[in-house]
Amino acid sequence: MNLHYLGKELYYQKRRTMTAILGLSIGIALLIILNALSMAYRQAAHAPLQAIGADISVQRSGDVPKDLAGAVFPCSAVTIRQAEVEKIQGLPGIRGVGKGILLWVFDPNRAWIVLGIEQNNSVGPAILRSAVTEGKFLQEGSSEALVEVAYARQFGIKVGDMISVAEKKYPVVGLVDASQAAKIAVANVYLPLAGAQDLAVSSKQLQSVSPYNSGDVNLLFIKADQEKIRDMAASLKNILGKNATVATPDSFLKLLGSLFALSDKFTLAASLIAILVAILIAFKTMAGNIAERAREIGVLKAVGWTNRNVVTQLLMESVVQCFLAGILGLLIAQAVTFGLSFMKVNIPIPWDMAPTPHFLPGGGDQIFKTLRLPIHVPWALASFAFVLSIVIGGMTGALLGRQIGKIKPSEVLRHE
Amino acid sequence: MSKSAILSGEELSKKYGSLEVVKGVSIRVDAGEFVSLVGKSGCGKTTLLSLLSGLERPTRGDVVLNGKKINGQSEDELALFRRENVGFIFQSFNLIPTLSAWENVALPLFPLKMPAAEKRQRATELLNQMEMGHRMDHLPSALSGGEKQRVAIARALVNHPKVIFADEPTGNLDSATGDAIMDILNRLNKKEGVAILMVTHEVELAKKAERLVRMHDGEVIS
Repeated sequence: MNLHYLGKELYYQKRRTMTAILGLSIGIALLIILNALSMAYRQAAHAPLQAIGADISVQRSGDVPKDLAGAVFPCSAVTIRQAEVEKIQGLPGIRGVGKGILLWVFDPNRAWIVLGIEQNNSVGPAILRSAVTEGKFLQEGSSEALVEVAYARQFGIKVGDMISVAEKKYPVVGLVDASQAAKIAVANVYLPLAGAQDLAVSSKQLQSVSPYNSGDVNLLFIKADQEKIRDMAASLKNILGKNATVATPDSFLKLLGSLFALSDKFTLAASLIAILVAILIAFKTMAGNIAERAREIGVLKAVGWTNRNVVTQLLMESVVQCFLAGILGLLIAQAVTFGLSFMKVNIPIPWDMAPTPHFLPGGGDQIFKTLRLPIHVPWALASFAFVLSIVIGGMTGALLGRQIGKIKPSEVLRHE
Repeated sequence: MSKSAILSGEELSKKYGSLEVVKGVSIRVDAGEFVSLVGKSGCGKTTLLSLLSGLERPTRGDVVLNGKKINGQSEDELALFRRENVGFIFQSFNLIPTLSAWENVALPLFPLKMPAAEKRQRATELLNQMEMGHRMDHLPSALSGGEKQRVAIARALVNHPKVIFADEPTGNLDSATGDAIMDILNRLNKKEGVAILMVTHEVELAKKAERLVRMHDGEVIS
């Protein structure tokens, strides 16, 4: 192979070179962008649960409270028995389980959304530890409360105040900003799990609708092996029955409704089309190149180039074009994904996972977890696309080797 | 074949389908001889040249070039044989449009494992010999017809050939330039001792060679 010849051919045949490089680079860029988009939507679908350190959230729907007085369970989150929790903890692929109790407390002069949390469990709402804006986080074994900062501002609650929830008094030890949290498992007041369980046990209203024993919960947050999440969702429904609401990244992905989010098959099909288009462009350009240069190939053979010499020369032209197309494709994909990264994704939170009673002002509104599309070009995808572009170049050149072989050196005299 | 013969064809025939273009032609060119092959268009002289140079395979007959029978060889063996023994000059020059004059001259050397500087040196020498040293880095598109043919002659000489096959080398040139090219070929033949087989349809031009072979309807008539 002669590099001089190769370089000059690519340089002086600008139109041919640019057509090949641009065509192929668009195919490569499409392949990268489609896959990056698909991965970004998948990653975005993890966001609502990731914000509370989990991969799966579990609750069970039940009956509507008869009277809205004292502590009640929302109808979308009724009792999950301790025995059921233990069964769930034994499922294969479980890496951690966080427990919570969500209560609506209707005191005579105020309604509270109360969430009982495990203070030291990184799976679940205790992840809010980093969102404390004033005071401190809940201590283990103590009977104290954290108040959501907006709620505290609205009702003039300060750190050090005493609040009364369902006739029990709690010192406010801190304020927490849950506005950036998952939109699920957010509350006005956060109590230690044991304290919230006490409220549930002692509430006659709650017991009359959804019998509850000490140790039971009504929210579960599960950290699991990624590849087992789908199977686990099915197992959870088996354990908890048909009323179980199991939220997984897949279920959020379906709510997103985007074509990329909906189907792996779509991404695969679109990627295959992009690759096919890239191959066809490379093949067509190369085939055209050979047809156009039949006489030149004849000259090369006449002056003593073997078939292998000629094939290697043209193969390397194809590989270099595809190499450049790979680089350009990567740059195009990087630019497009950078642009797309400013796009906002609104992930709808199902009503039954929203903590606010739907009959309170704003409670019936659809809420969303909003985030910037987490799109980027992973190294593995970039490397794959780049290697693919070179393979396409090599493959095309090799396939056309036979066509080159058929061109006889006497071709040069046919044009005389 | 006598000891001094560098090229010979014995009973050469070439058929394309049912059409026999070359009909049982025998021909020989001695080392250092300048032979012209003359005949009307379509009489088969270019086909005969392509058979003798190994560009085409005869349907029948043998070609012996530099003491070696070449018609049984593979395409690649023939290419290597041409690289070592043969030079070509074509009517329409057949220079590679993207390569400069010196690169076109060095084209047969490109596949060889040989330092690039040496290839350039050899091409430069030949271009200087053709009085084209000042046009070394020019593309063919920047050269006149006569200049292109000088570059093509330099290319034909770059591998120190035993025989040069020239197919209508002045066909695309005006008469003055054509005469100049013929002078160069004659000089090469005499000074370098390289054998030349030139195809032409112009009898006057053919007469400038040492020996003239006439063809008519696929056969050698004199």
